[in-house]
Amino acid sequence: MKEIWRKYLGERMPRYTSYPSALHFDRSVTAADYAEKIDEIGLYEPISLYVHVPFCRQLCWYCGCNMQVENYYSRARGYVDTIIREIEITGRKLNGRGQPTSVHFGGGTPNYLLGDDLGEIVGAIEGAIGLTDSVDLAIELDPRILRDDDVHHLTSIGFNRFSLGVQDFDPTVQSAINRLQSFELIEACVSDIRAAGVDDLSFDILYGLPHQSEQSFDDTIDKAISLAPDRISVFGYAHLPDSLPRQRLIDEATLPGTQLRGVLSELADQKLVDAGYHRIGFDHYAKPDNPLAKAAIEHRLKRNFQGFTDAAASALIGFGPSAISFVDGFYAQNEKGFVDYRQRVEHGELPIARGLQRTKRESVIAAAISELLCNMKTNISAVLRSAAPGDAIRMCSSLERLEADGIIQWNGDAISIADEAYALARVVAAAIDPYSQPQIEHATAV
Amino acid sequence: MSSLTLPENDCVAPNPLSSCDLCSVRENSICADLGPRELAQVEKTMARRSVVKGRALMEEGEANDSLYILVQGSFRLLKHLEDGRRQITGFLFPGDFVGVRPTDASAYTAEALEDSRVCHFPHKFFDAIASDCPGVKDRLIARGQTEYHKAQDHIVLLGKKTAEERVESFLLLVARSIGDIGESGAVKTPLPMPRQDIADYLGLRLETLSRSLASLKKKGNIVELSRHSVVLAAR
Repeated sequence: MKEIWRKYLGERMPRYTSYPSALHFDRSVTAADYAEKIDEIGLYEPISLYVHVPFCRQLCWYCGCNMQVENYYSRARGYVDTIIREIEITGRKLNGRGQPTSVHFGGGTPNYLLGDDLGEIVGAIEGAIGLTDSVDLAIELDPRILRDDDVHHLTSIGFNRFSLGVQDFDPTVQSAINRLQSFELIEACVSDIRAAGVDDLSFDILYGLPHQSEQSFDDTIDKAISLAPDRISVFGYAHLPDSLPRQRLIDEATLPGTQLRGVLSELADQKLVDAGYHRIGFDHYAKPDNPLAKAAIEHRLKRNFQGFTDAAASALIGFGPSAISFVDGFYAQNEKGFVDYRQRVEHGELPIARGLQRTKRESVIAAAISELLCNMKTNISAVLRSAAPGDAIRMCSSLERLEADGIIQWNGDAISIADEAYALARVVAAAIDPYSQPQIEHATAV
Repeated sequence: MSSLTLPENDCVAPNPLSSCDLCSVRENSICADLGPRELAQVEKTMARRSVVKGRALMEEGEANDSLYILVQGSFRLLKHLEDGRRQITGFLFPGDFVGVRPTDASAYTAEALEDSRVCHFPHKFFDAIASDCPGVKDRLIARGQTEYHKAQDHIVLLGKKTAEERVESFLLLVARSIGDIGESGAVKTPLPMPRQDIADYLGLRLETLSRSLASLKKKGNIVELSRHSVVLAAR
């Protein structure tokens, strides 16, 4: 990375997995509003589904997800009944409209649930909403609790995309985040998954974790490449101890500084690209024959709450506590607390707690930001035309600063991000985002 | 002749032996509401075409300016998603109509499930005879099912609560179109479409479809089940 660009690295930036970010959601959005939006989904409109499983066996100290450590499976079993009820309520509202193209099980730890219970949830989706053989079924896995025939069970249910939370292979780093998992363990999981015929396996890797060094991270990336996953996501750890108390368990003194974070992210990029992975957006990597890489080449990439996706759907329906749904410029988030969530569902309600209806202006910015992050370029004439006068002036001066530093180039009304500046894509997005003033706590840009 | 997308060898010109007088489906539906003068006009303009299995009658996204009546065989209607996946949105059987309105971009592809025959009318023909014989098009399609009926059927099917209900309703729907009631009251119904198409159409996975069919057979709602036909119990 050019020396002159390093000044941008420390800036806190939204992840732009939604726009505006979930921090802008409020309680003015109700279940009735969401039901009305669901009613507008077309008969053949592709939809994506997300199923949240908020349980883990053990606490990882870096985690920013809505989860709880659960020691009694009976409670998780109760949760399965509740989420099935929620799926059925939603199915009745959809009444045949919307065709799922992908279902993602995220967490927490989806494989905390027994295979039979996961199968029951998938069956409920098929019965209430519909599921065909071409639908992608993806699941995030904690390799530490994967038992012998789990993978086989999951593929027999229909799961065809697996994602392993690898994070880092260095034992020192692993103990500093309370997530010990040996290379041999991951290797065995990968071999199980491959033996089951799965051809879409993804790793999550985190940089910015305690005790990471250039050398240790270099080794982590080598090990990851040696296991040949089809995709790798390289996320920056967001240390936000004020809002996530569990992160206070991490000793801040051992965290890599801004400069080192930049070095680690670049190191991963270089090694993965050299190993033949295709860079997707600014933090995903995929083998050239993977559907995600194909989607990127064909400019079909989209951004969703999991990052970058090849799913054709723009509408998303989420199930489980804190899950977010998105239909045509409208965000609706479920109750975060398990008790509130269950109570609402048991009353036969859609358990919506908060959300946001995008304004026309926000939708224009959302489209431009999504295109920037997915394709590294966008036409911003519509953004400037629809912006408030003061905002347009601020956007232009921010963009001028980025152009002067060689991060972006203008081509008529279009801006494109310089190839080597891909990691600053969110900095460019923030330049056209009127909300990107630094009063809200976000992850750093790199 | 209109701009059909089929190559020459897939089409036949109006055939004297298959003129309207001899039409096998006429008595049942298609042209029953037309007067003799109208029928003469229709016969003059109508072209009968055969469509070979696997070929498309109309393509999604392409212009279509003709009304088609399916005389023999069957078609599936499908839509393509940008990532290459397809959705089955309906099936056409003899007596069904497609292309009810001319369009610059068809909403779906109609593809022959078997060697089929259709009657084909350019929409401009209806315009041309509108003053002489008003309302011919409306009366022509009054008794048949159009693509709009097919969408209605699909909504109803997809809105059913269980897989088994969806499968049973689908079989009854097909039986109403092309089923053959035997002496016992049981209905023999051809299933010209592959199982995968049925599963996709019903929003089910192949395995679930098979399980539902097996269960319906066990309960006696299905008397006989084979690859390309089903016998439904008398109701």
